Amino acid sequence: MPRGAEIIDRLAPIAELPSVFYEAFPMALIDLKETPVREANELIRQYGAVGEDVEIVNPDARHHLGVGLTEEISVRIRGSAGYFCAGLTDGAYFEVDNNVGWGVGDNIYRGTVVVRGNAGAIPGVAIRGAEIIIHGNMGSRAGQVMKSGTLCCAGNANFMAGYMMYGGRIIILGDSGENVGEDMSAGDIYVAGKLLSVGSDAVQVDVLPSELDSIMEFLDRYELKAKRGDFKKVNNAGKKLRYGKTEQQVRSIPFHTFSGKCDYWGPKVQEDVWVKSQIGRYRIRGYGGARTLPHLSDLAFRSDLSTIGDDPHVVSKVSMNTRIGGKHGANPLDLSMPVLIAPMSYGALSRSTKQAIGIASSLSGIAENTGEGGMSDAQRDAADQLIFQCLGGRLGWNIHDMKRANALEIYISQGAKPGFGGQLMAKKVTKELAEIRGIPEGIDLRSPSRHPDILGADDLVIKVQEFREATGYRLPISIKLGAGRIHDDIKIALKDGFDFVELDGMQGSTGAGGAEVMEYVGIPTISAIVGALDGLAEIDCAGEIQIVLMGGLRDGIDAVKALCLGADAVAFGTSAIIAGGCIACMQCHVGQCVTGIATQDPDHEKRYNVSVEARNIHRFLEVVRWQIAAITNALGYKNVTSLCRDDLVALTPEAAEITRLAYEPGYRDSDRNFSESVGLG
Amino acid sequence: MNKVDGAAVLPPDLRDDTDDTHFVPAPCQIACPVGTDAPSYIAHIWEGDFKAAFEAIYATNPFSSICGRVCDAPCEPACRRTSSDGPIAIRNLKRFVMDELGRDMHLPVVKVTRSQTIAIVGSGPAGLTAAQDLAEAGFEVHVYEMTDRLGGMMVWGIPAFRLPPGIIHEDIDRMLKHCPGIKIHFNTELGRDITLEELKARHNAVLLTIGAWWGKPMNIPGEDDERVVDGVSFLRRINEGARPNLPETVVVVGGGDVAMDACRVAKRLSGCKEVKVIYRRGPDEIPARRDELEGALKEGIEFLYYTQQVSIKPTYNGLAVGCIQTSLGEREDDGRLAPVALPGTEHDINCGMVIAAVGQVGACEELQRCGMMAGDRVRAEYSNMRTDDHRVFAAGDGAFGGSTIVIAMQHGHRAAYYVKAFLEGQQSPMPYRTPFRTRRVPVAQDLMWEKLARFEHVFHGLGHDPIAFPEIESTYDYETARQEAARCYRCDAETGSADYGVQHREDIFAMARTDTKDHVGNQFMLKKRLGPRENPFPEGRPGCLDDLVFLPANLSRLVIDPYREACSVNTDLAGRLSLQQSIISTGFDEVHEVVRHAVSLGLEDRNCPYLGVSPIGNRIDWLQVLSEDSDCPSAEAAGFFRLFGDNCQEVSAKPAYENQISGIILSSTRVLHDSIPFALRAGFDALLLDGSGAFGLPWSEIGRAPDLTMLRDTVNILRDLGAEEQIELIYFGGIRSGTDVAKIIGLGANAVVLGVPIGLAAGGEIIDNNTLGFVADRDTEDRRQAVSNILDATAGEASMMARCTGKTNLHNVEPEDLSALTLATRDATGVALVGTD
Repeated sequence: MPRGAEIIDRLAPIAELPSVFYEAFPMALIDLKETPVREANELIRQYGAVGEDVEIVNPDARHHLGVGLTEEISVRIRGSAGYFCAGLTDGAYFEVDNNVGWGVGDNIYRGTVVVRGNAGAIPGVAIRGAEIIIHGNMGSRAGQVMKSGTLCCAGNANFMAGYMMYGGRIIILGDSGENVGEDMSAGDIYVAGKLLSVGSDAVQVDVLPSELDSIMEFLDRYELKAKRGDFKKVNNAGKKLRYGKTEQQVRSIPFHTFSGKCDYWGPKVQEDVWVKSQIGRYRIRGYGGARTLPHLSDLAFRSDLSTIGDDPHVVSKVSMNTRIGGKHGANPLDLSMPVLIAPMSYGALSRSTKQAIGIASSLSGIAENTGEGGMSDAQRDAADQLIFQCLGGRLGWNIHDMKRANALEIYISQGAKPGFGGQLMAKKVTKELAEIRGIPEGIDLRSPSRHPDILGADDLVIKVQEFREATGYRLPISIKLGAGRIHDDIKIALKDGFDFVELDGMQGSTGAGGAEVMEYVGIPTISAIVGALDGLAEIDCAGEIQIVLMGGLRDGIDAVKALCLGADAVAFGTSAIIAGGCIACMQCHVGQCVTGIATQDPDHEKRYNVSVEARNIHRFLEVVRWQIAAITNALGYKNVTSLCRDDLVALTPEAAEITRLAYEPGYRDSDRNFSESVGLG
Repeated sequence: MNKVDGAAVLPPDLRDDTDDTHFVPAPCQIACPVGTDAPSYIAHIWEGDFKAAFEAIYATNPFSSICGRVCDAPCEPACRRTSSDGPIAIRNLKRFVMDELGRDMHLPVVKVTRSQTIAIVGSGPAGLTAAQDLAEAGFEVHVYEMTDRLGGMMVWGIPAFRLPPGIIHEDIDRMLKHCPGIKIHFNTELGRDITLEELKARHNAVLLTIGAWWGKPMNIPGEDDERVVDGVSFLRRINEGARPNLPETVVVVGGGDVAMDACRVAKRLSGCKEVKVIYRRGPDEIPARRDELEGALKEGIEFLYYTQQVSIKPTYNGLAVGCIQTSLGEREDDGRLAPVALPGTEHDINCGMVIAAVGQVGACEELQRCGMMAGDRVRAEYSNMRTDDHRVFAAGDGAFGGSTIVIAMQHGHRAAYYVKAFLEGQQSPMPYRTPFRTRRVPVAQDLMWEKLARFEHVFHGLGHDPIAFPEIESTYDYETARQEAARCYRCDAETGSADYGVQHREDIFAMARTDTKDHVGNQFMLKKRLGPRENPFPEGRPGCLDDLVFLPANLSRLVIDPYREACSVNTDLAGRLSLQQSIISTGFDEVHEVVRHAVSLGLEDRNCPYLGVSPIGNRIDWLQVLSEDSDCPSAEAAGFFRLFGDNCQEVSAKPAYENQISGIILSSTRVLHDSIPFALRAGFDALLLDGSGAFGLPWSEIGRAPDLTMLRDTVNILRDLGAEEQIELIYFGGIRSGTDVAKIIGLGANAVVLGVPIGLAAGGEIIDNNTLGFVADRDTEDRRQAVSNILDATAGEASMMARCTGKTNLHNVEPEDLSALTLATRDATGVALVGTD
């Protein structure tokens, strides 16, 4: 009989607890036979607010029980719970009489979960300080991307316990399962039973007596037993945390030497080969795609725009107010124009830069986005409307910041490097940054590219639901997609119940990514929007989900073209950064940004003047507003929602074929004459 | 810029570069009145090409050596790096170049080629700049100078501790040797020695650059005391060589550059212990250059701000300057805040001498007599530099008020342009515009460029012997100059980002600095931005691997974690030869033995087979290349590949031993229809598709893009024959990276042959876009490591691409995982255009 099962046997069955127990501890009772989960979760939070403990009967293995609770009360679940039981909570005590589904204790900050039965896969996923005790066995990938706290399993663990964990400890009293500690970055795994095999970049090490003391104290506290001498310990082996050789820093070669008509074996190819022959792996750099690709600039407006902008007060004549994300009854983002700031992380960018962007977004009445890596107070204070982004590494993800966000976003991928998670070179992983993300300092952080609990469309539905439950259905929930098979992906996004899509083409930028991935994975922004709309039309769902388009948009002209093609709004990332002083040297990944933007080095960050750059970014956004208004007005509309495909023609055969717009190369010449007429040659 | 007759309106050697879609002048260049191509000369300094740096500097600046010392450098505050950790020390870098080359650099002599001559009155920076431009255009130019020296205020107004006389001579000598057509008439004053009428009679045009030579009076009681002197006269006396004894305390009135020079001269002269500068506004308003102000402060000069002089009275042992305190009031017409006297704050400053430096005026009785003066300036029109007399032009301080050397030079260029246009009979020339050029110097590759802090000159101040006027600063040494040069952002240079190229960035930058209410600015920008871009895929761009992209896994398919999860890249060739990375190497048959050996070690590390006429090493699987009609394959070869000629003659498939891998090499799509059925019939194991079209010639991949239709057609033919899995497809030609490998395998190949990248990794250099050459600059271990690294990187990249598309095996990538960006590539590969089905 496995060790864990013995322990379970020794425990008194819950049903036999004396009735005096209930009298001594009166609790609020919620019967899930009568109360739907959504209502139950509201009730739990209300009881929490007055400090009253809760007992849930007839749980019937429902999902999301207790999620989002941030009060220090006890919740007893008299039966089995489904997915994400006690997830996204802080400070509560949960006890489950029987089994739990996957993701028990998801992302708990502090608090305790005791499960008397077994747990499904990824118990303790992404926890940041909880104690989770599972009396039975636990499923695979236990403690995936956990940051701190203790996950203890009295029975056996399935494969890959501690997968990609960043900190904390896992105590397994039974057998470890295979590949324990697979790609863990830090933290400790203790196994009292058989250590089946250690995973990639994990290693068995000696256990210190002080650690054993601490384990025994923990076990005593939860009335679990194990033999002190049995424990074996697994740690990170330190082979993959940092890249072996540092890539030589090189300032970029002008793009036109490797775009359009150029030598096949040009200087860029030679440099690439040279650098790769020194490091033995792919190159990494910052910024977005380097080459010229089909772009919105290959489209032109059909109308004669020669009198465009003659009216200085055009902004007051065009209605631009846009609401995003209200589809399912959440409070939508209320934007003064169909423009957002694209997701960019504090981490890739300095805190000051995020602050300046936040301020600018507020001044212009639009929404900002945290990107990966958490929400700083500075960012929250600066931005009136802030979207909080959740990635697979769950870096900086937590219930408190979710609650103070204006929208939540699940990142599936980004245009610059679809298929990759975030990438942050050690130089940028400072103490403060590591703290907010809950990871060890100074590692070459490569966030997982997949969510631990989203393996497919079905999981995603449940994840979206968890977020809604945890935040009381107040917040719009969006999905960030780097366009690829967008024709099909958009259908899934729609069916999974998102409120809107942030759709990113391959012209989007990033703080660091594989150079070849930026160049050759994904599809251009112009193809992304067309593909997405085609996909929706195909299932007769045109217009049923709002799309925010981004990736290489630079001005109000690009914005209007995107709106004409069918986007509901657009987002600016790199352009906003450039407006705020970026010089496009493409060395973001190095971490010593000369302008203080893409850096965490305080000496460099102090070069960035927040108030000056906030005003610059704000002015850029206001010029964009003016441009959107001027073009919309010149096209004869009073509202940006009137913009349509008929307003556009294509200037290149490729653009025509991609967009199915009329190919009218003649418009190129008429525009040229026009630009010459204003002295631009 | 005018494109129609640009050549006619600009000197031919100052080609305007604004036609170039990848050039926007940097802010420093725009800020420079003569459009100095600072980014280029800075980059040339970093490269160590001082001659090229000199050329870039001198191209628009005849007083380069002087400017290296004393230019007010409007470029520096414009420098984008100012707002992060300080501007590039552009002037100091110029000084460095001129100290290196200025003395010995001789320019080609330009001859007089035209019969018309021009008189220039005054030899300051405006006059001499115009003289050089006109002489370079072939005119004979006569310069009439009232003193016995050339240089105007540069020679008479600036003290030697800032600008040693040798530096001035350097520039002037260079110019006069360069332009023998410039004739100098010393000690010839307009009015006294020659009249305007005489000049007009002698010459076809006259340019008046008479300067603002005289100090302005303060217009306060008591200023006619002989102990009150004006700043320019004082400096002129010093530059004549006088070293007077001064009283213990000297008061300098004013906050401009003359005041700075005067106070610092006074401080160096004997007898003077204390110098006080009084200025009626505050330290933020003082017009003096920062450098000079700081120099003066460091030399111990006292500044009394918000102090307005109102009178001068003699005292028993000197003078008392009666002063009143001020505060700043309303903005005046010139944009500066008006000093307002505060009643009740009257006080005296005692001293022995007052130097008044409150401005300069031009004066000329002769011109006054001719009615050509307007107050203290020559009456002239800036738009065409003309005076009321159609043959007389005017420029510089004398016409447009006190300014700087570099603005005076700009006036000189302008005036020369309009004089020349006049002499050539152009009725209404295009308006002059400062020409901007770029020399397209690559950016400095210094690893520390983001971190290096601005390095100031070593400041010596008064020095050990102040009265000898030793120079106040040293010139950089090369190490320092190079570091300072590395700091340049290179705002002029195109970046590696097409979407955020230099034009776009500058526009975004401008948008971010345009007030919302600036309707004109906004409208201009909008119209500019509405212009179309070039077609990024111009006609004639062939189908290209670059124009294929991978479709990433997202929701409808799961991504395989590219950082961590395994994705296998190996393959077995014909079930007999294991390729660890699906890569076969080639290309080293005719390479030097030293390189061959090193490469073989690297290939051995990765178990990578070699395809060639001869084996590369004992422990490396050799795939022998055989001509169409050669003998049997070698028994030492793991396999052999026979060239299959254009005439489609059937070749022998006979192996040297059982199980030896056999293949044919196809170099043209024309042979596919015959060769493929033959290869299947004859029992060949593999087809080697040669996209280069010239396999067997050394480095045949270089100089051309591979033909992708080879692979497309082969796959189609095999499909038609129902023989898709029956023969291995190996592709050669133009594979540069793991991305290319994944694309080629996705299009249907089983393995690839890698040539040039291995050659480049092993230290090869592309020569004449045609072949690869090796030199003895690396040791065997370096080359070996580089070869195994490039194999790792290539395989790693290929697997990364496969994982992005959701594959755990590189060989599962298929055409459906790809999209074409261009129609040409769609046609060449059969892969759908992005976003279409």
